[in-house]
Amino acid sequence: MAALTSEAEEKLQPDAITGPLLEGKDITVTFGRGAEAFDAVRAANVTVDGGEAVGIVGESGSGKTTLARTLVGLQRPSAGEVRLEGQKVFSAAAEQGMPRSERWKTQMIFQDPYSSLNPRMRVWQAVAEAVQVWQELPGAEARVEALRLLNSMGISDDQARQFPKSLSGGQRQRVSVARALAPNPKVLIADEPTSSIDQSAQAQLLNLLRRLQAERGLAIIFISHDLGLVRYLTSRVYVMQTGDIVETGKTQAVLERPQHAYTRLLIDSIPGR
Amino acid sequence: MTDLCISFHKGGGRKLPVIDAANLSLDQRQAVGIVGESGSGKTMLCRALIGTLPRHGAETVSGTVHFDGQELAGASERVWRGIRGREIGYIPQSSLAGLNPVLTVETQLVESITAVGSLSRQEARQEAFALLERVQIPRAQQVLKARAHQLSGGMRQRVMIAAAIAQGPKLLIADEPTTALDVTIQREILSLITQLRQELNMALILVSHDLAVIEEVCDNVMVMYAGASVEAGPVEALSKAPRHPYTRALRVSRVDRAVPGQDLEAIPGDAASVGSWPAGCRFWPRCALADDDCRRDPQPALMPTAQQLSACIHPERIPELEL
Ligand SMILES: Nc1ncnc2c1ncn2[C@@H]1O[C@H](COP(=O)(O)OP(=O)(O)OP(=O)(O)O)[C@@H](O)[C@H]1O
Ligand SMILES: Nc1ncnc2c1ncn2[C@@H]1O[C@H](COP(=O)(O)OP(=O)(O)O)[C@@H](O)[C@H]1O
Ligand code: SF4
Ligand SMILES: [Mg+2]
Ligand SMILES: [Mg+2]
Repeated sequence: MAALTSEAEEKLQPDAITGPLLEGKDITVTFGRGAEAFDAVRAANVTVDGGEAVGIVGESGSGKTTLARTLVGLQRPSAGEVRLEGQKVFSAAAEQGMPRSERWKTQMIFQDPYSSLNPRMRVWQAVAEAVQVWQELPGAEARVEALRLLNSMGISDDQARQFPKSLSGGQRQRVSVARALAPNPKVLIADEPTSSIDQSAQAQLLNLLRRLQAERGLAIIFISHDLGLVRYLTSRVYVMQTGDIVETGKTQAVLERPQHAYTRLLIDSIPGR
Repeated sequence: MTDLCISFHKGGGRKLPVIDAANLSLDQRQAVGIVGESGSGKTMLCRALIGTLPRHGAETVSGTVHFDGQELAGASERVWRGIRGREIGYIPQSSLAGLNPVLTVETQLVESITAVGSLSRQEARQEAFALLERVQIPRAQQVLKARAHQLSGGMRQRVMIAAAIAQGPKLLIADEPTTALDVTIQREILSLITQLRQELNMALILVSHDLAVIEEVCDNVMVMYAGASVEAGPVEALSKAPRHPYTRALRVSRVDRAVPGQDLEAIPGDAASVGSWPAGCRFWPRCALADDDCRRDPQPALMPTAQQLSACIHPERIPELEL
C-alpha cells in the first residue's frame, strides 16, 4: 500500500506544468442554423488536474456528452478553446481537428459499449488495433500488449478470443476501458459508463476506474445523471442543466449544501432516499 | 407460479433451458419486484406471464402458473388473447423504442382500447384523452397528435403505461420501466405507477436490476440468479437480513453505502450464462461460503428461513449486514 501511495504521488506531479491538465475555456457548442440554432453547451468552463476525478451531472439532453466530445476533440466548439497541459490544442478557429500528438492524451468510453466495439472483430483484435495505432507496435507485440491490458481489466485470454456479442454488458464495458487505455492516456472521460450494465458489473467497473485513478494517476471525468455514483467516485463536480453549468464545487459540499434548485432535485431523486 | 421451467428451441429438437426453477406468488393488489443479474431470465419470465414465449422461440416445459383461478402454463393462444392486455397489462423492456414511429399517439392508444371491442371510434378517442390525463401528461390534446420522436423519454414511457392500463388489467407487469431514464424522471414514473396501482386496484410485477427501486415501490421481492428464484419474501426482510449470499452481495455492492476512496464490495467474476450453468448451487463459483455440498446436484430449492424463502443451503453462515 505504501508503495502504491508513493507511486501515485509521483504520478500526480505534472512535469513542470502548473495549472490544470485539461481545460475547457468558455466552450459553446451551437447546433443548427438560423431560427433552428440552439446552444447544446453555453460558455462552459471545466478543468481537471492530473490524477483528479471530477464529475459532470445533469439530466438527459443537458449537454454532458457534447461537452465531453469537445474536450476529446470529437466535436468542434462554436466558441472557446480546449487546453491540454497549458497549451491550446483545439478551438472554434482551428482549421484542423485536435492534432494526433495531443489526441492520445484524452480517451473516452461511452454509454453503450456494444455500439462502440466492432461486432466483426474479436475482442483482443479490437484492443490490439488501438495498440497498433497508438503505440506503433508490430502485430505480435500488439497482441501481447492487448492481452495484458485485457487481463488487467479482468478479461481472460479465453474471453479475449470471443466476439463482443458473447460477452456480457459489464465485460464489454471493461473491454472499452482496455481499448481506451492503449495509448496510456492522461485523462479518461467515461460517459454514463454504467447505465447499460447491472449492479454487480457496475461495482466491478467503478472499482477499476478508482484503481486507475489512485494507482496510475489517471485523471477521470465521470459523466452521469446519478449523483450517488458521482459522490462515490469524484472529488469535484459540475452540474449541468440545458447547456449551462449551474453549479460546481467539491462533490461533498455540493451534495450536502446544494445551492441550485436543480441540484437539489437531482439529490432527492437518488433511489432509496 | 410454481417451479416454472422454460426452454428455448434449438435446432434438431434440442432444448436449451433458460429458466428452470422460477417461483413467484402475489395476491390481488400486491406489488412484487423481480431483481437479478442481466441474463438471469427476468424478461423471459415476464413473457411467460403474457403468453409470448412462442414468439421468442421458447416454451414452458413444466411447472404451473395459476392466475385468478385459471391455469396459464401451456395455455392456447386463444386463451391468451383473453388475458393479454385485458387481465394482464405489460410494459416491455426498452419500451421507449416500443412506440410506432409513424403513427400518432392517438392512433396507437385507440388501437389498444378498441382491442376490447365495444367502444365506438369517438368513444375510444375520448378514452385515449382520459388515459393520457390519467398518466399525468400535460397538454394531452397536443400529445395525442404527436409521434414518438416528438416526445421525451419520460413522456414516451407515460404513453406506454397508458397503453398497458387501457383495458383495466388486474395485474400490470413492468419490465425495467425506468432503466433508460434520468433519475429525476425515474422518480416521477415510479410514483405514477404506485398511484395508478392504488387508483385502479392493480397488482404489480416490477422488474429492475436496482434493488433500491424495488424497495421503494414493492411489498415483496423475488431474486433471480441464473434461471432460478434464489430468495423471496418481504422487502424489509431481504433488505435488513438477506438469507442468500447473492442478495446480500447486491446490497453491499451499492454505491450509496460505499465510502469514497474505498473499494466497493463487488461480487467477483461474472454471472453464469445460459447453457453453462454449474452443477449444484449456480452461485458457488462466486460465493465465499461455498463448500463441497454446494457444488453437488441437484440445485438447492427454495426453503423457508426466518421471514423469507431462500435457496441457499447455508443461510446461517451469512454474515449480518452492518447498516
Ligand atoms: N433466442 C435465444 N436463444 C438462446 N438464448 C437466448 C435467446 N434469447 C435470449 N437468450 C438468453 O436467455 C437469457 C435470459 O434472457 P432475459 O432477457 O430473460 O434476461 P434478463 O434477466 O431480462 O436480462 P436483462 O437484465 O439484461 O434484461 C439470457 O442469457 C439471454 O442471452
Ligand atoms: N450532432 C447534433 N446535432 C444536433 N443536435 C445535437 C447533436 N448532438 C447533440 N445534440 C443535442 O444537443 C443537446 C445536448 O445533447 P447531449 O450533449 O447528448 O446531452 P447529454 O449527454 O447531457 O444527454 C440535446 O438537445 C441533443 O439533442
Ligand atoms: S448454497 Fe452454497 S454456494 Fe450457494 S449461495 Fe449458499 S453457500 Fe453459497
Ligand atoms: Mg449523453
Ligand atoms: Mg430483461
